[in-house]
Order: sequence, then structure tokens, then C-alpha cells
Amino acid sequence: MTPAAPRPALEATGLAVGRRGAAVLTGVELSVQPGERLALVGANGSGKTTLLRALAGLEPPLAGALRWDGGALPHGGARVRAVGVLFQGEPASRFTVRELVTLGLGLDAPPSPAARRRVDDALALAELAALADRPCATLSGGEAQRALVARAVVAAPRLVLLDEPTNHLDPAGRAMVEALVDRLRGHPRGAIAVVIATHDLALAAGCDRVALLHAGRIAALGPPARVLAPALLAAALGVEVRRLDDPDGGPPLFRVIAPRPRAPEAAA
Amino acid sequence: MKPRPRRDTIVAGCAVGCAAVAVVAICLGSTGWRSPWAWTAMVGELRAPRVLLGGLVGAALAVAGVVMQAVLHNELADPYVLGISGGASAAAVASLALCPGLAPGPAAAAGATGAALLVRGLARGPHDPTRLLLAGVAVGSILASATGAILVLAPGSQLLRSSTSWLFGGLGTPPWSALVAPAVAVGLAVAWLTAQATRIDRLTLGADVAAALGVAVARLRRRLLIAAVVLTALAVAASGLIGFVGLIAPHAARRLVGEGHRHLIGAAALIGALLVMAADCVARTAFAPRELPVGLVTASLGGPLFLWQLQRGAR
Repeated sequence: MTPAAPRPALEATGLAVGRRGAAVLTGVELSVQPGERLALVGANGSGKTTLLRALAGLEPPLAGALRWDGGALPHGGARVRAVGVLFQGEPASRFTVRELVTLGLGLDAPPSPAARRRVDDALALAELAALADRPCATLSGGEAQRALVARAVVAAPRLVLLDEPTNHLDPAGRAMVEALVDRLRGHPRGAIAVVIATHDLALAAGCDRVALLHAGRIAALGPPARVLAPALLAAALGVEVRRLDDPDGGPPLFRVIAPRPRAPEAAA
Repeated sequence: MKPRPRRDTIVAGCAVGCAAVAVVAICLGSTGWRSPWAWTAMVGELRAPRVLLGGLVGAALAVAGVVMQAVLHNELADPYVLGISGGASAAAVASLALCPGLAPGPAAAAGATGAALLVRGLARGPHDPTRLLLAGVAVGSILASATGAILVLAPGSQLLRSSTSWLFGGLGTPPWSALVAPAVAVGLAVAWLTAQATRIDRLTLGADVAAALGVAVARLRRRLLIAAVVLTALAVAASGLIGFVGLIAPHAARRLVGEGHRHLIGAAALIGALLVMAADCVARTAFAPRELPVGLVTASLGGPLFLWQLQRGAR
């Protein structure tokens, strides 16, 4: 008998997702392994956020099936141990950073000493220990984003979904969020699978696999070197992209040249 | 681990302040100061139940305010926001016009509940705080105009006088038995809401975030709205409309204990109780032997206090 393959953290088969009954993406076949990092790339309106909401269990699929760690999502507070979510553009709350991260544990009672230690660990992971008692509304954009990531991972879920984690951040804030996402791979409580919806091609290039969303389906799925190819990006994003590889072996840079002119009407 | 004991201490301090105000309000009346050690029938039968009812009404309005602000994601929401003040006024004035001998309280509670149900029905579909608020404003203004029409068209001037004292809030001279229902409701509500505190905290982060953090959002919202409407209806039945307490007490409590509802519910209840007891004491004594409606006092003291808080917050 061969040893069983590790159970995928997330598995989607024949998935169709949409809003108010109208399909945005169909035929989605995805399997994300524990510790794997998958980027969802596509133009605005390509269905990245809709797919992420379905993967978070917030929107029932129109068709197909979703399995989290081989089963259904648990109800109640246990849910945060299955999936952690970073939403795009969540407004800053007036909770302190520590209170916000504690809410990520999904507890219905005041936190136990063990729970408080988990919060401290998450704050340390996000390099926010010094800001723990500051109200979130007083943080910089990058700090606030790290606090929200810390809330998503504090319960050590098997899967974390990040919607545009580097949007609107300055270079330092972006680099710190990227480093935090990197650290999730070696999370002390076990490998966390990460799915990132992003327009940030450099961030996508640092992932293990990329899914390119275009025309209502996953147009390409595979390693970044193959999927983030100029021809595929040009088709999906409608821009000319030049890829600049790092001679030191780091993730490549992407230079967006200009929107491609629309194809002439009816080539006949 | 500093913050928790500090917040517990602040809530305990609110309780002590509340008790002190209750004692002063019981001792002080239109006929002057009576020592707490000289408990007369007047103190025991007239002032004490009135002061305690004021405290319960204030607590109910403050807690309902906290809940409405959480459910509607709006810090300007107050207990009356879902057309409840309009429904209560119209029903109370109609009751005073048609059956002048009856106390308008039960009709007001029914009107308040009816208006809230109507607003919820009009804003049916997926929960949308903006639609609920707008439906509340519309229903409230329709019912306010109905109230005005009854007041203007009804014969005799007695209705105007009795209605005014009700519309601006008044605690009257309640028997001890009138305290039972509000006391039970406030006690149960504070206990239940405090047990739901971290769920309410998560709800204030938004529906999607709360759902992702394990909250059954629709069920929690429904229960919270029911709790707020029941508390407000009981308060309205006991004392008419007392403005501003349900808005200012939650804000004052937030300043003292922060956003977490575990401490916020209790602190707001105590501050609301303190405010109404103090305002009623002023209402009874400022122009003795004439009495001001307590709602006038809460609004005239609460408005400037609220502005002062806003100024401090802006700095």
C-alpha cells in the first residue's frame, strides 16, 4: 500500500460561482495542498473576489462541490480554524489591534490564557506586538493590513484567503505584508495553504501556482513561470506585459507597457 | 493583562455613581431634602419607585441604543430610529384622544412595536442598514404627522396638555408594581447581551467579516432587533419619549470602556440609568412645585454634553 497523499486543504470540483444567481465563473477545478500558495490573477470583474467569497463559504456555489480539508465547513466559532479571510477594503475599526486579533479566534467567551498566547504569537508574527494596544483606526495602511492578516491567521486555519493584500500600500507596507505572507508557510502550528486574489503580478510570481481568470473560467493554472507569460497575460488583462527576470533568482518583475488596442471590428 | 481589570473597575465605578445618584434623587424632591435615614411614606411610595423606574428606563434606552448602533452599523442610531418614536406617539395620542381615562403606556408600546414591524416589513429582503434607516425615517415622519393631525383636530385643549407631558417624557408616580416588567426585561437583556458580547463585536466589523468569524449573522441580527424593540417599547410604555439618552449613553460608555460589548453593555446601562435619574431629579426640583417633562431636561443637558464630547473627540 502506498502512503496516502496529504488531504488537500481545499478542493473545488465543477464549481460555478456568481452573484444573485448569475454565473461569473464556471467549471472551476482547483485543489490546494497544505502549505501551498496559489494566486488568482485576472482583470477587474474576472471573478477573483466572487471566487474567494465562495471559497470562504460566504456564497453558496451555483454548481459543483467544495471541500475544505476533505469535508464541509464547520459552523460557529470552529469555522475560523478551517478558513481565515482577509477582505478587501475592510474599514478600520475602533478596536485595539489586540482586540481585533482576538476576535479572529471566534470565541464566544473571554479568551483563556492559552488563547491570549495565540494572540501574542499572531501579533509577533505580524510584527505588531509594539502596537497591540493602539486603536486600529490610528494605524498606517500597512500596519492595519498586517493586523487584519494577523486576525485571519490567529486561529491557525488550514486555509487562508487574502483578497488584494497589497492594494493601496506604500513600498514598505507592501514589502512587510509580502514578508508576512511568506512567514505563513513556516507557521509553527502547521502549514497554512494560502489563496491570494491580486493584481500585483510580482506577488503572484512569488506563489507556487497561479490561476489566471479570464472569460468566465480559469484560463490557465500552473507554475508562475508558465502562467505569467506575456502572451497569456496579454489575452487575460488586455495589456502588453514585459517580464524582467531577476539574475539572482528572485521573483521576476513585470513591466506593464500599455493597453493593447482593441482588435478591429469584424476582421472580415 | 492590564486592560481587563481596569474596565471592570470602570464599570464598578459607574455602578457606584449610579447608586449615589439614586440615593440623592430619592432624598431630593420638590419639598426639599429628606435624610435617607428618615424613610417616610412619601419617600417610599412616591419618590423611590419613580427614581428606580427612571433608572430602569434609562438603562433600557441606553442598552437599546447600543444594540441599534451595532445592528445598523451607524453611530447616530438611537432606540427610536426605526419609526418607533412616531409609532409610540401616534398610538399614545390616539389613546389619550379616544379614551382619556386610560394610561397611554400600553397603546404606546403597541404603537412602537407595530411601527418597528412595519419598518422591518417595508425593508424586507437581505438586511440592509440603509434601507432600514430610510424606511424608519419615512414611517416615523408619516406617523409624526398623524400625531400632529390628531392633536390639532381633536376637540378641547386637555388633550394637548396631557399629550405634551407624554411626548416629552414623564415618569409620573408609578406604583412599585410598575417596576416589575422593566426590571425583568432590563436584567434579562443585559445578561443575554453580555453573553453575546463577542458575537456583537464581530457583527460590528461587517456582515461578511462576522460570518467568516463564525457568527450566524441573520439570526443574531434578528434577535438583537427584537431585544432592542422590546426594551424600547417597555421604556416608552413606562415614561413616554425620553430623547437623547439612547444616543449619548452608548457614546459616553464607549469613551470609558472602549468598543468591546462585554463591558459596553453594562457601562451604557448604568450611565443611561444615571442620566435619567439625574435629569428627573432636575425636572422635579428646578421649577418646583411645577414639573418639567424629563425628556426636555435630558435633551437640554444631553445636547451640550454630546457636543462637548464631540469637541474632545476632534482634538
